[in-house]
Amino acid sequence: MDYTTDILVVGAGPSGSLAAREAAKNGADVILIDLKSEIGSPKRCAEGVSKQGLIDLGIQPDKRWIARKSNGVRLVSPDQTSVWLSEDTIELPESGFVLERKVFDKHMAMDAARAGAKIMIKTRATSLERVDDGIVVTANKMGEEIKIHAHIVIAADGPGSRIGRWAGLDCNTKFNNMESCVQYEMAGLEMENNNVIQLYFGTVAPGGYTWIFPKGEDIANVGIGVLKTHTDKTAIELLDEFIKNCPETQHAQPVEINVGGDPVGGLIEERYGDNILVVGDAAGFVNPLTGGGINTALESGVYAGIVAAQAITDGDYSKKNLKEYYNLTKENIGKNYDKYKKAKEYLLSLNDDELNDIAHEFVKVDIDEISPKTLVKLLIKVSPKALLKLGKLF
Amino acid sequence: MIIQEYCMYCGACAGVCVADAIDVQELKIVVDDEKCTKCGLCVKACPVAALSLE
Ligand SMILES: Cc1cc2nc3c(=O)[nH]c(=O)nc-3n(C[C@H](O)[C@H](O)[C@H](O)COP(=O)(O)OP(=O)(O)OC[C@H]3O[C@@H](n4cnc5c(N)ncnc54)[C@H](O)[C@@H]3O)c2cc1C
Ligand code: SF4
Ligand code: SF4
Repeated sequence: MDYTTDILVVGAGPSGSLAAREAAKNGADVILIDLKSEIGSPKRCAEGVSKQGLIDLGIQPDKRWIARKSNGVRLVSPDQTSVWLSEDTIELPESGFVLERKVFDKHMAMDAARAGAKIMIKTRATSLERVDDGIVVTANKMGEEIKIHAHIVIAADGPGSRIGRWAGLDCNTKFNNMESCVQYEMAGLEMENNNVIQLYFGTVAPGGYTWIFPKGEDIANVGIGVLKTHTDKTAIELLDEFIKNCPETQHAQPVEINVGGDPVGGLIEERYGDNILVVGDAAGFVNPLTGGGINTALESGVYAGIVAAQAITDGDYSKKNLKEYYNLTKENIGKNYDKYKKAKEYLLSLNDDELNDIAHEFVKVDIDEISPKTLVKLLIKVSPKALLKLGKLF
Repeated sequence: MIIQEYCMYCGACAGVCVADAIDVQELKIVVDDEKCTKCGLCVKACPVAALSLE
C-alpha cells in the first residue's frame, strides 16, 4: 500500500515523537513510524533526565513515568572517595528525575497522536529513494511492504541510525565516539543514599563511567559506558566486575539487561539536507561529558518539527530553507556541547591517582560553596593541566 | 559474521559500521556479507561480544 504525507518521522523515541508532535501541531500532515512492537521497549537508557528541561519543552511531569526524583549526585573516585553535589547548589545536567522510559516514550508518542500525527508501529524503514518533490521511504509494516511518499523525512532512528546516510548525509557515529554501554536494572541494592545518582570514575570504566541511578528504595539501573578505544575488555565484563566489588550492588539481582551505543562525539555537522532533517542520537544530540541525550533528543525534535512544518507551509523543502534547524540547534545545544566536550577530554586525560587527588581536595570544600566556578578553581589548584583545558570555559 | 543468539538488537554495531552493512530489526540483525569489509569495528563496539568475524 502507498501513503502520501507532508512529513515522515522515522523512529518514535523521544526525538521522533516530539518532532511529530510539533510538526502536527503546526499544521503539517505527519506519519510517525517505529520498528518496535511496543514504543519505548526495550529501554536502552539509565533514565536520568533534567526536570526543568522537560518543563521547558511543555512536557508536564506525570507520576506514571517518573520512577524516582533525585536531588543530587555522588561522584566516586577510584579509591572510593565520594564527592556529593546537591541540586540546590549546583545545576546538574540530566538530573532531577529517573524516568520509567518504557512509559515515558509511549506517552510522548501519545502526545504526537493527540496533535494529529498518524502512528504506525512495527513498521521498519528498509530503504529510501529521492524523487522530484521529496523522498519515498519503503518500509515493512507488519510483514507488508509499503511506500511512504513525504516532502520531508525526519530521521529520528537513534544511535544505530542509517536513514540520514541513505539520504546522502555523512552522519554516522565514528567508532571512537561511540560509548559501548550495558546496564542491569537490579533489585536488592544496599544504597548509602537512594535519592542521588551515582557515577564511578577511573579504570572501572575506561573512557566513560559506571553508574547507579536509583528507581526505588532498593531498585536501580546499574550500568557502564566505555570507549572501546580505551579498553580491550567488553562493557559487560567490566560491569560484572564492578557489581561483584561494589558493596551497594554485591547482593543485588538483575531483572532486566539493556545494551546500547551512546554517541558522545558532539553534534554532527551534516544534520540537514534537501528534504531531510536528522534529530536525537542519530545526529549526535548527546551531552559529550555525561552521555545524557534524552533532553536534547526532545529539544532537537521540537526544532525539527517546527522548522519542517514551516517548510511545508512555504512549499520549499530545500536544504537552504531547512537551515534554520541547523542554526537553532547550534545556538541552543551545540555551543554548550563544545564546553562539555572539552571537559570530557580533560576527564579522560586523568589517571586514577589524579582522580583521587582531585576527589580528596573536593571533599574538603563546604558543599554549599560549590559552583561551577569554584569547582574549576579547585581543579586548577590540584591539577594544573585543568587550567590549560578548562580555564577559559566556565 | 557470526552472530550470537544473545544479541539484543540494540544497533550499536550498525551505528559504527561505515559500510552500512548491518540491518537492525526488532528481534534480529542481518549482516550483508557483500557490503561488509571485515573491518571488525562492530565486533569491538558490541557491549556484550555478540559478534565475531569468521
Ligand atoms: C545504556 C544507556 C544509558 C543511557 N542513559 C541515559 C540517561 O540516563 N539519561 C539520558 O538523558 N540519556 C541516556 N542515554 C542516551 C539516551 O537513551 C538517548 O540519547 C535517547 O534515547 C535518544 O533518543 P532518540 O529519540 O534520538 O533515539 P532512540 O530513543 O534510540 O529512538 C530511536 C527509535 O528509532 C527506531 N528505529 C530505528 N531504526 C528504525 C527504522 N529503520 N525504522 C523504524 N524505526 C526505527 C527505534 O526502534 C527506536 O525506537 C543512555 C543511552 C544508553 C545506551
Ligand atoms: S551491538 Fe551487539 S547486541 Fe547490539 S545489535 Fe549489535 S551485535 Fe547485537
Ligand atoms: S566488520 Fe566492519 S564492515 Fe563488516 S559489518 Fe562490522 S563494522 Fe561493518
